[in-house]
Amino acid sequence: MLRDLDLSIAPGERVLLAGPSGAGKSTLLRAIAGVLLTADVGDLAGEVRVDGADPHEHPGRVALLLQDPTASLVAERIGRDVAFGLENLRLPREQIWPQVAEALTAVGLPYPLDHRTHALSGGETQRLALAGALAMRPGVLLLDEPTSMLDPGLAAEVRAAVADVVRRRGSTLVVVEHRMEGWVDLVDRVVVLDEAGAVVADGPPDRVLAEHRDALLAQGVWVPGAGDPKPADIDHALVGPYQEAAGTLVEATEIVLRHTWRTHTGERRITVALDGVCERLDAGRILAVTGASGAGKSTLVSVLGGLARPTSGAVHAGPLGSDRPLWKWRSSALARRLAWVPQQPEHAIVARTVLDEVLTAARATDRESWARRRADALLQAVGVAHLAAANPYQVSGGEQRRIMLAAALAHGPQVLLLDEPTVGQDRTTWSLVAGLAAAARDAGVAVGMATHDLLAVDTVGDRHTALSHGRAR
Amino acid sequence: MMARCGPLSLLLVCLLPAFGAPAIESVEHGLWSLLPVAVLAAVAVRAVGITLRRMALGLVAAGSIAVSTWLYGGHDLDTAVGASLRIIYLIAPGAIASTYLEPSSLADHLAQRLRLPPRVVVAASAALQRLDEVGEQWRQIGRARRARGVGAEGGPVRRVRVGATMAVALLVSTMRLSGRMSVAMDARGFARAQRRTWAEPAPWRPADSVAALAGVALAVVPWLLR
Repeated sequence: MLRDLDLSIAPGERVLLAGPSGAGKSTLLRAIAGVLLTADVGDLAGEVRVDGADPHEHPGRVALLLQDPTASLVAERIGRDVAFGLENLRLPREQIWPQVAEALTAVGLPYPLDHRTHALSGGETQRLALAGALAMRPGVLLLDEPTSMLDPGLAAEVRAAVADVVRRRGSTLVVVEHRMEGWVDLVDRVVVLDEAGAVVADGPPDRVLAEHRDALLAQGVWVPGAGDPKPADIDHALVGPYQEAAGTLVEATEIVLRHTWRTHTGERRITVALDGVCERLDAGRILAVTGASGAGKSTLVSVLGGLARPTSGAVHAGPLGSDRPLWKWRSSALARRLAWVPQQPEHAIVARTVLDEVLTAARATDRESWARRRADALLQAVGVAHLAAANPYQVSGGEQRRIMLAAALAHGPQVLLLDEPTVGQDRTTWSLVAGLAAAARDAGVAVGMATHDLLAVDTVGDRHTALSHGRAR
Repeated sequence: MMARCGPLSLLLVCLLPAFGAPAIESVEHGLWSLLPVAVLAAVAVRAVGITLRRMALGLVAAGSIAVSTWLYGGHDLDTAVGASLRIIYLIAPGAIASTYLEPSSLADHLAQRLRLPPRVVVAASAALQRLDEVGEQWRQIGRARRARGVGAEGGPVRRVRVGATMAVALLVSTMRLSGRMSVAMDARGFARAQRRTWAEPAPWRPADSVAALAGVALAVVPWLLR
């Protein structure tokens, strides 16, 4: 991962760490936080000193915030969650609660201490995690892609909370983030790592960005002011449908989807995910469904794919379809018609090798020999041809996304459904995802995607539906 | 009433009926013994659906025991139904009381009152409150398989086989989740928290004594009624 890295950061310095996926940025943050060997295995040489001491000796001096806002949730109520670190530091009870209150105020969470953690939005959950870190009064704040899974409004919320805290407390800050906008104004130093994890540039943001702009862009970093990326150019023959179709391919009318569920304590909750939505997918068009988290966009895409059963309303696949509602279709019949890539591609893994993964749906739909003719070229086009024999679980997250996109298209579905396909992706993967969607569209596939990425909507979207609380606005 | 109880007395209500259940032998005796359980249900069931669902497996067991006792126990209906009432007596109080358990408070009490090792207790409670997420992951895995033509449908053999591979996928994704959680928790000083303090006390209230007495009653009532 990392090799012979030397880096020193002065107290109060604010650093943005950039570099390609796999350069070891997260590894470095974990090393500084003293949690490197918690969930990873490997050989470790060298040392990390924080204020001249091993970070293991002083828990709480260094705070680490991870990409997944829910990673640090440990309790059902927000007060208790923030208190977790202070309990570990063995603070007496009467000192814990004032520090909890102070930390919650610092990140601007206005709720009472017994507010349920599961009732928070993604941005609020990330601010809660920040509060949990701040309560321990750390001198150093390490942020590992803290906003990459959040939509732009929520990301700005989290950034503002960080900016405020750093300014008032004078903390040392190290941020890793593909999307530099918003962070460059906050830092006074940018450090760039290369693929091997060595420092290739180090200096004030303006100078580093000016001198290393092209290298950073080539690494997939979202350099501010570099203009928007273009969708990658993909051969239509690789992504077109097995059997061409025209017109409206899926039609959903008056969809209502209510979730009734209970927590482990038996509390009854009803969430209305969709509330009377009509939508359709047309051959050769890209439908973008947007909305804040919880607005129902992923649910709508699942309904359009016959993967979730609505409480009421109709979902039919025409013109070749029957009157049978889509959610009643057999799995193989569904796969002949459509493909779906979940937000976490890992959930779709079924095979032992990447090539088998790409051919899975083709085998289930008796199209294997047809799909084999383009599988290799498709893997090549998404940049993972060298991984054909690899185990899909053992490749990086970005590679898994590419593989699952190839696996979705190889058997030639007429409908392609994508759930947050660009979230947290570097610039290069972003181009590829947008390029695949556009090429499939141009080859006659009906594409539907749930996204909060407005750039993707503007770049490749043909139709746009904004959802708010389960209704089309 | 039960909402004011701490987790330890609730656990007693869940577990103590196990000592009373063996006494039940006939239908009449079983029904009289179940009377206090019915009272408990009347005052304490907060969610009928989830309580029944928690009892579901036990009810299946009760049914199959009734059938097998009838078949192999000389076709004696009284003994057969009595045996199934014994199972219901065993599980119903637990199904009711467990809906009041909260992971954090259970951890507080287990560590502060029973002096169980804090790291184990806290890790278990953190994992418990993420159970909902595991359900969501299972749903996503199922959807992805269905969309790819390899969904869990068809005959029972195929369903079981697909279910098994889905379980492997779920295991991998929950392992990743727990990896991320342990990094986040260790970054908050958990790695060195062999000893830690507790933000909230673990009091034993009058309501707990009442619940504990109810638990003891459930252990002895069937014996007294014999």
